[in-house]
Amino acid sequence: MTELIRTRLLSKTYGMADVVTNVSMKVRSGEIYGFLGPNGAGKSTLMKMLLNLVKPTGGEIELFGERLLPGTIEPLKRIGHMIEAPVFYEKLTAEQNLELHCEYMGYHRSGAIREALELVQLRGIEGKPVKQFSLGMRQRLGIARAICTRPELLLLDEPINGLDPEGIQETRSLFRRLCDEYGMTLLISSHMLAEIEQIADTIGVLDRGRLLQEVSMESIRSSKTDYVEISTTDVKLCAFVLDDRLGIRNYKIVGNTAVRIYAMSMTQEELFKGLILNDVPVTAINRRHHSLEEYFLELTRGGGGYAASH
Amino acid sequence: MLHLIKLELKKGRMTGYLWGSLITYGVILGFLILIYMVEGPVQEEPIFQSNAEMLGLIDTLIRATFIIYASVLLSKLVIGEFQNKTIALLFAYPVSRKKLLLAKLSMVFIWTLANVIIANFIIGTIFLTLNANFGYVQGTVTSGLLINHGISIVTQAIAAAGMSLLPLTIGMRKKSVPATIITSVLIVVIVCSNNMGFSLSSIIAIPLSLSALGIMLTFLSIRNIDRIDVA
Repeated sequence: MTELIRTRLLSKTYGMADVVTNVSMKVRSGEIYGFLGPNGAGKSTLMKMLLNLVKPTGGEIELFGERLLPGTIEPLKRIGHMIEAPVFYEKLTAEQNLELHCEYMGYHRSGAIREALELVQLRGIEGKPVKQFSLGMRQRLGIARAICTRPELLLLDEPINGLDPEGIQETRSLFRRLCDEYGMTLLISSHMLAEIEQIADTIGVLDRGRLLQEVSMESIRSSKTDYVEISTTDVKLCAFVLDDRLGIRNYKIVGNTAVRIYAMSMTQEELFKGLILNDVPVTAINRRHHSLEEYFLELTRGGGGYAASH
Repeated sequence: MLHLIKLELKKGRMTGYLWGSLITYGVILGFLILIYMVEGPVQEEPIFQSNAEMLGLIDTLIRATFIIYASVLLSKLVIGEFQNKTIALLFAYPVSRKKLLLAKLSMVFIWTLANVIIANFIIGTIFLTLNANFGYVQGTVTSGLLINHGISIVTQAIAAAGMSLLPLTIGMRKKSVPATIITSVLIVVIVCSNNMGFSLSSIIAIPLSLSALGIMLTFLSIRNIDRIDVA
């Protein structure tokens, strides 16, 4: 698999403030790369550096295998982007804004604009000036603008900001479609773990300008085992029954009210029956898995090893 | 380049520009007619000694107006894009930043140049016709006078177009619209003010060298545009 984005020890300093420090990341062709980090972690700055809008103070960037230098414009033809809250020419209509975009990008395909507006479910408002748009509509229009030239690489900074829950779900499936059907490579940043977790193939965790970890979702999923959590008012009895009567050894008592069973061999029904028959007061049984959130918190709290390069 | 200019016109709506200049012509013309009609019949101290002086005032007024008008255009085309952050959009396009800015600046240059010449032609003609009927200003209109004035208008228009870019150098520092416009007003006050029939712009070397300075400083200020950060 080829790498569309590759940075080496990329840094950006504003005066005394280090905004991005020694980031070496790789985004491979055809994947959705989730950029995860709290506000102010340097996600937007990094994306702006990829677009050549902000010049690095150290390190280097390669896009599509070519080094990005001040004045390089070729790779920009192949990139769609939405950085921060999207800006438009407010007095122009949605359609005029997209037309201008296509003209500047040198992209001419009839129906491209209509198709993009359909993909983000913005139909029937093409003729409205953008200044009348709500936050969510602007966000959708921003995505439409980013994808209307069918770019190979899509940089999206907090793309679901301002969308309602339904919109978030639609956008999520749109991103998956863009990747699977149109073969686009996506770099999506977010501070919302749950979002990234659901969509990304690879995750880069950025904190205070440093790339803490770059890891594939698959390896996170496989390394984190599922567990079944029993809520009970009598954890001691519960533990005894599990151990002595049901032959389950791989469990952990959590506080005074819960017992977690890892890699359970029996079904949930069998477990439930076993507990009830032995008079364990069970209030709930839930199957859970370690979420990315826990993984992420572990990483940032533990001050995890800085992954300068992979 | 031509394509980029076309896109700029699309962005700013071309009819708006045309109306803008037509209204400006009207205001200048109205103002001059007011002076001519009110002051003209007073014979003791005529407002204009000659046709040349009358045409000279018309030219000065037109240049002053369009140098300031140009600063408004600069604010809209260049400073405005920085303020509205749309510049981040433009600079992420596969188009050289220098070309983008040159397209905008040449629009301002051509706009000022064309308007000064066209306005002089229209308003000057109207006034000569008017005066042929009312005769408040003495003297005959010779072809020599017209040719001399024509040459002067073209050189002054070139000078004005170059000078109209000067405010950008100041305005770009803080990306400020007021700074841009105030600079243009200052330039007008210095160059176009008329003191007992004398103004700095009548020494043609002064406006022409200011024009050259305007063009030079503009080139200097966009020379490093590829290296700047667009936040």
